Amino acid sequence: MQGSTPLTDQDLVARCRDGDAEAWNLLVERFSRYVYAICIQGFRFGPEDAEDVFQDVFARVYEQLDRLRDDGAIRPWIAQLTRRLCIDRIRSTREAPVEEVEPEAFDDRLAELDEALAVREMMAVLSESCQEVLDRFFARDESYKTIGDALDLPAGTIASRISRCLEKLKAVMEDSDAGARPVDG
Amino acid sequence: MIRVKAYDIEQLARLIGALPPTPEGWVSAAQELPRMRAGLDDLIAKAKTDAELRARLVADLESALAESGISPTPRILAEVRSRLAD
Repeated sequence: MQGSTPLTDQDLVARCRDGDAEAWNLLVERFSRYVYAICIQGFRFGPEDAEDVFQDVFARVYEQLDRLRDDGAIRPWIAQLTRRLCIDRIRSTREAPVEEVEPEAFDDRLAELDEALAVREMMAVLSESCQEVLDRFFARDESYKTIGDALDLPAGTIASRISRCLEKLKAVMEDSDAGARPVDG
Repeated sequence: MIRVKAYDIEQLARLIGALPPTPEGWVSAAQELPRMRAGLDDLIAKAKTDAELRARLVADLESALAESGISPTPRILAEVRSRLAD
């Protein structure tokens, strides 16, 4: 089954503003890994601090969505909100200037997470089985056997499926504006 | 605006792995926010006109929230206490 073209960030935000519960679910799903990655990779938070910041970020997104002036800028807005709440979290336990609590090379790390999010959005046009096998192997770090058992596939075929799905993803990205496409925000 | 560059297979694999899944329950808790927020607004509105409910909330906020189907997180407890004090 082929994946579908995802809603743009603008459409998603507009639907959330209209009180569309399904759109809110999609928004949380779209940005959940991004927020989580900023907390644990950008700021190296442990699970407890990361969960508090994660829930606080989405609570504020929900409460302050009407204040977002450019619906297409939801990603950078969420990134800055997460960054600010992570810094607040650190400064709640020790007084220090912002530049001292923000990890070194944070901007580089955030840029990489931006790219990772864009790649993940492009994955949505792949078949569901491709999305799942790529996610299980690279993001969930599952073995061929675990993936094979979960998807009812022979473990010996998983490596070739991963390879084929990566090639498809590469082709999708190359097809989109000759390998370079603007991403909202 | 950021741009998606042309990637090789290794870069794609690395970037897919850069966004690991969130621990179980985090996403569903965030997705419940609108329903929880509506329940909270309804409860506070009722407490403003129902002295008995208000007294119950003040006496044992965590239990009263749980009975209303609202998970009493520290953030929610602080918000309800603040709104009840208004």
